[in-house]
Amino acid sequence: MEIRLDFIPAATLAAKDPVEKMDFILERIKRNVIIVLEEGLSPREEAELIAATMREIDARDFHGIEFYRLDSRETRLRERIANYISGKRSGLTIVGPTRMVEAIKKEPDCISMLAKAEVECPTDAPSVAGSTKGRKR
Amino acid sequence: MFGRFTKYLRLERLAKLLGMRKQIQLGFYGPVNAGKTTLANRISIDWLGKEVGKVSEIPHETRTIQKIENVEVTTNNGHVLRMNIIDMPGIATQVDYKTFASYGLTLEESKERAKEATKGVIEAIKWLDNVDAVLVVMDASEDPYTQVNVTIIGNLEARGIPMIIVANKIDLPNASPAGIEGAFPQHVVVSISASTGLNMEKLYEAIQEHLT
Repeated sequence: MEIRLDFIPAATLAAKDPVEKMDFILERIKRNVIIVLEEGLSPREEAELIAATMREIDARDFHGIEFYRLDSRETRLRERIANYISGKRSGLTIVGPTRMVEAIKKEPDCISMLAKAEVECPTDAPSVAGSTKGRKR
Repeated sequence: MFGRFTKYLRLERLAKLLGMRKQIQLGFYGPVNAGKTTLANRISIDWLGKEVGKVSEIPHETRTIQKIENVEVTTNNGHVLRMNIIDMPGIATQVDYKTFASYGLTLEESKERAKEATKGVIEAIKWLDNVDAVLVVMDASEDPYTQVNVTIIGNLEARGIPMIIVANKIDLPNASPAGIEGAFPQHVVVSISASTGLNMEKLYEAIQEHLT
């Protein structure tokens, strides 16, 4: 069985308002697609993503998400302040359905994601720019 | 307009000097089962003589916001803390009713609990805009570098809300408060055990020093 990963360029989400952005993310997650956002979510967007996820949870199919932001924590303070003022975000965010993503863990030199493919992957999911497929680890 | 603001600041400062400052809304945030309600109960029993919430090993025991109003704590150095404590449901990114069934709840009870738990998480997130200061409660025996912890702290930083990280459960043999200090070096960390009461005085002093 295959696991589908969609890489979402920053430009795809740039024009969307917060609600549209969450809808875009969750629509894919609910179809068992793991997504990698080129531009990481801000903390407020992360909180909104959690709240939007809670609204979508149902007893049958969808139990939630796993996500991780590889952020600018390691960058210098000056860069972080400049990014904050300009509204620019660095890093990326990976989001997946909890039924497929067993764990996302920060290792000393990388972010490690353990995924499983117990569920049938959708075949009708539309492709987006940068979409790719990865084999089960 | 500006003159009125300056006057307000002067009055605030005077009120603080006289110990008359209004009560702070102190929110307890953290992941599920970090010990937030145990901490709220510890403070409430010690200073009001009553328990506020039920504690359980089953996740999402606290599914609604619990307020403890008019708590007055006198520290060893004589300072009086006046606060309203708001014990929040634990923040989670997933809620699976089957988890509750594994603790012996019926199918219906599990589904109902899951439904309430999701509402509780949404409420807790909404309340981020209504608190003056926050204790971020973490289980010191767990890996602190989780996305839930990072998201909570990132949101408080973005809103400019002062916080203290509480490394709870240090009575457990595998507790590592140093791990929490290492993960969030930019914030004040106080190590306690809410269940035994260890270091509660240090926590009160830290609240007085950093959050009031």
